[in-house]
Amino acid sequence: MPHAILIKFPGTNCDVETSRALEAAGFTAEVLPVALVTPEVLDRAQMVVFSGGFSYGDYVMSGRIAQLITKNKLGERLKEFIAKGGYALGICNGFQILTQLDLLPHASLIHNTSGRFICRWVPLKKNGSKVSPFLKALPDDFELPVAHAEGRVVTDDGEAEKYVKSGLAPLLYGENFNGSTKAIAALQDETGRVFGLMPHPERFLTRGQHYDPDWKTGEQWGWGYHFFKGAFDTMTAA
Amino acid sequence: MKGFSTPLRPLQPDVSNPPNAPRTERAAFRTIPVRDLIADQLVEISKQMKLSLSRADMLAVQKIFQDEDRDPTDVELEVIAQTWSEHCKHRIFNAKIYHTLDGQQEVVDSLFKTYIRAVTDKIREEKPDFVLSAFEDNAGFVKLDDDKAVCLKVETHNHPSAIEPYAGANTGLGGVIRDILGAGKGAKPVASLDVFCFGPPDTAESNIKAKDVIHPLGVMRGVVRGVRDYGNRMGIPTVNGAIQFDDTFIYNPLVFCGTAGIIPIKDIDKLVKPGHILVAAGGRTGKDGLKGATFSSASLTTDSHEEDQTAVQIGNPIEEKKVADFVLAAREHGLIEFITDCGAGGFSSAAGEMLHETGGDVWLERCPLKEPGMDSWHVFLSESQERMVMAVQESALPELERLAAMFETEIFVLAKADGSQRLKVWHHGEKVCDLHVEKLHEAPRREMRAHWRATPDLSPQIPVRPESWTQSLKVLLADFSIVSREPIIREYDHEVQGNTVLKPLAGASGDAPQDGAVVRVDNSDKLVALACALLPEWGKTDPRLMGRAVVDECIRQLVAVGANPDRIAILDNFCMGNPDNERELGALIECTKGMAQSATIYKAPFVSGKDSFYNYFITDDGPVSIPVTLLLSGFGVVEDAKHVVGASVRHVGSKICILGNTRQGLRGSVFAKWTRGAGKDAAPDFDEQVALDSYRSYHELVKKGAVLSTHDISEGGLAVALAEMAFSGKAGINVEVDRLPKDHDCNVAEILFGETPGRLLVEVAPEHLSTAIEHGLTPIGETTGERWLRVTQSAGTLIDVAVADLKPIWQKGLAKYY
Repeated sequence: MPHAILIKFPGTNCDVETSRALEAAGFTAEVLPVALVTPEVLDRAQMVVFSGGFSYGDYVMSGRIAQLITKNKLGERLKEFIAKGGYALGICNGFQILTQLDLLPHASLIHNTSGRFICRWVPLKKNGSKVSPFLKALPDDFELPVAHAEGRVVTDDGEAEKYVKSGLAPLLYGENFNGSTKAIAALQDETGRVFGLMPHPERFLTRGQHYDPDWKTGEQWGWGYHFFKGAFDTMTAA
Repeated sequence: MKGFSTPLRPLQPDVSNPPNAPRTERAAFRTIPVRDLIADQLVEISKQMKLSLSRADMLAVQKIFQDEDRDPTDVELEVIAQTWSEHCKHRIFNAKIYHTLDGQQEVVDSLFKTYIRAVTDKIREEKPDFVLSAFEDNAGFVKLDDDKAVCLKVETHNHPSAIEPYAGANTGLGGVIRDILGAGKGAKPVASLDVFCFGPPDTAESNIKAKDVIHPLGVMRGVVRGVRDYGNRMGIPTVNGAIQFDDTFIYNPLVFCGTAGIIPIKDIDKLVKPGHILVAAGGRTGKDGLKGATFSSASLTTDSHEEDQTAVQIGNPIEEKKVADFVLAAREHGLIEFITDCGAGGFSSAAGEMLHETGGDVWLERCPLKEPGMDSWHVFLSESQERMVMAVQESALPELERLAAMFETEIFVLAKADGSQRLKVWHHGEKVCDLHVEKLHEAPRREMRAHWRATPDLSPQIPVRPESWTQSLKVLLADFSIVSREPIIREYDHEVQGNTVLKPLAGASGDAPQDGAVVRVDNSDKLVALACALLPEWGKTDPRLMGRAVVDECIRQLVAVGANPDRIAILDNFCMGNPDNERELGALIECTKGMAQSATIYKAPFVSGKDSFYNYFITDDGPVSIPVTLLLSGFGVVEDAKHVVGASVRHVGSKICILGNTRQGLRGSVFAKWTRGAGKDAAPDFDEQVALDSYRSYHELVKKGAVLSTHDISEGGLAVALAEMAFSGKAGINVEVDRLPKDHDCNVAEILFGETPGRLLVEVAPEHLSTAIEHGLTPIGETTGERWLRVTQSAGTLIDVAVADLKPIWQKGLAKYY
């Protein structure tokens, strides 16, 4: 059974619901405070997860300190882990951390154009042909909740367009509420096993979490479940 | 002058983590001779040291030390001042008050005991299986299911928010979250609610009649961001709240922060025993937040804006997140015997509370500091944030240290309980405080005077009739008391933890209003509903009916969203101006009586409460007090996720029904602010027993699955409630008011915009209509495919307007200010 390790930094706060979602999809999940993280912990995991929150308060630049500490603690071992077929997932603050770890196409996440924290639901569109295991079980159009102040993707000139064209930006906002370049909501590596996104799939695990009580009557699971399940099915089929 | 005799250094347990933090190098305290002073001199000492102790208090202090046969240290005087402050001891709610109501004299022998505790005790007898603890802990607990209990606590942080809105609100929320962490053996915070009263955002600068007062816009923005940055970083969803705007809040904004928590029932009872050690955990101690409790127990002046800055603490949510993770882990490991937070009074109140029964030794020199050069009393009384104190067995220390390292928080041994009955504080081997634990808590009782005269009802000779009822509706939808709070709600993460079932905004596009929130609880089939109500406008003229109406509105909202009407607990948070003004105190008494009356009939126990006095300000034009303001917050058990009901229409072709009777009277209503003399000048009365029966009946209907949506009728009355239901975007609404159950002499203004309590609008599928009627509902209209709001009377059309013309007025009303 695939095992997921969720690294918990001071200020990480979506660990409980992310573990719940991982377990619902079939993973065994382990929340590991960063103080206990050593390179060896990767030996027992098939996936490393960076969940949402405000690691170290995000006072410097969102995810910056967590990224430095992760690099310091895991170093090249995280890259080797990915090269050997491991998965890495970053959600929201986790995405902000992941963008700085040289595992995703080069980009930064900066404050929304409104300068505000925004908590809402947003329509999403799948993009490109590099279908990540995380998106495999999802339809072309779906929606998820977002909640962040720093979720606007920015890149070097012209890079965002390339990511959209090549499919390294596998998920776009249907409504560009945060001013993200090319409405990019997520980034992945060539394999789709390293995946970072601003929306929170773990917050839409079951139907009852949708804001509309009439959403897909009779359905048990929300889109977020299919996000984790897609990855689980791919890992267990291999 | 005689101080302590030879100091003795007691044995200390050997834990000090972290080793490298700044610490004090020596004890710094002084002895203050009081034994031979006359009363005037004692009062002078209280003034000079900013103790906020009265003449009677200072005489009582003198007596303590005459009996001890020595003079006090500054540490001891500061400890007593904090312990006896209004903020900590609630001396007004426990005072003996000579009250005159409409010329009739009566004696109120403690508002708290008479109208809050007695009410709750009686309800607990009638409902033995619901309240698990009330008034004795940092928050009261009620039973959720066989294993788990839920608690709620609401605090005010008014004075700090007036002076420094961001930090004041930030630490207001941080403080109440620690109350939850310090409830039982450490409850888990699962949801927050935040309620504010501000001056109107469009207040002209020239209308602010005092120097250095922050404009309401600055207060609002600072307060919202303060709450946002603490709640979001802690990962606690802010799911519910309210905002009121009124001129009287320009100088004294009100900031209420509340948090709900969950705990296993077995972990509620806690006890400190001799031999336990007290371990402090979390942030370091600094000079921020000195004398917060005494500061908040006096009125604000222009000088406060300059002088009392040190009374406002500085928040660090990540420090609190770390200590929260540590506390919850320690509780799960069974290490905690007792826990409380460092609130007002800092270590002195935490250790004072924990050693209240036993007495014990406290050591200040081990405390890691934010800065060097602190006096003994600074260390003991600092209100630096993010600190918790827990009592543990000495054998639990290694495991605690392991967990503290894991979650990167700092701990040190602060004290050890013995059976001495004395609070002994040591600093580098010198004894700086030695007080008998009982004497410390025996503040002299206050005697006060109050009066109130009810405002007579008046009927207008010829009622004013606005030109267009539709236009009146538009005006109300744009009123600050009604406009959508969406710009603020979106700044709060209301979905973190993934358990928010009924969100603050819903409908087809997730932007329509809700009456309350419902959160799921991990590993339970039952859910928790949260709601709140406050009606300060009513408090100006009819505080007694206000007290009754806020209890009704809060309970009605909880019932509307699906809570079992017999499984609801409530909290009272009173704020008022000057308690030494007899009329203002009279209004508080009447409000409290009204609240007690409704709570008794609804059988809704109080489990916690708080009060905030001296919310008045000496402006250039004289003192301005807030109206007596009661925030009633409540939480209820939702037995099944299927019972959760939202507030906006869902289907075309449903029936719209009403529950409750519409009465005469527009006093206190939002409509009356805009149009005077349109109806009777009286506050609309209601019958609690009738209301409770109807809520129970409605709940049966919910359990049968017959209810599609329900919205309470509150500010703005029926017309506003109908419009808000239609903001879901899923259907229009047609209503005929002739079918409305009402007093026969109600006029149109009272029907459309009156705010009679006890009423709900309910959307029912046509196939359930007969069941709904059997359960006491009256059909008054239906939902339509056309997105239109039409309200008619036999005589003709009253309101006729496209929903699309109304929604932007409501939705964008606050956006330009925030």
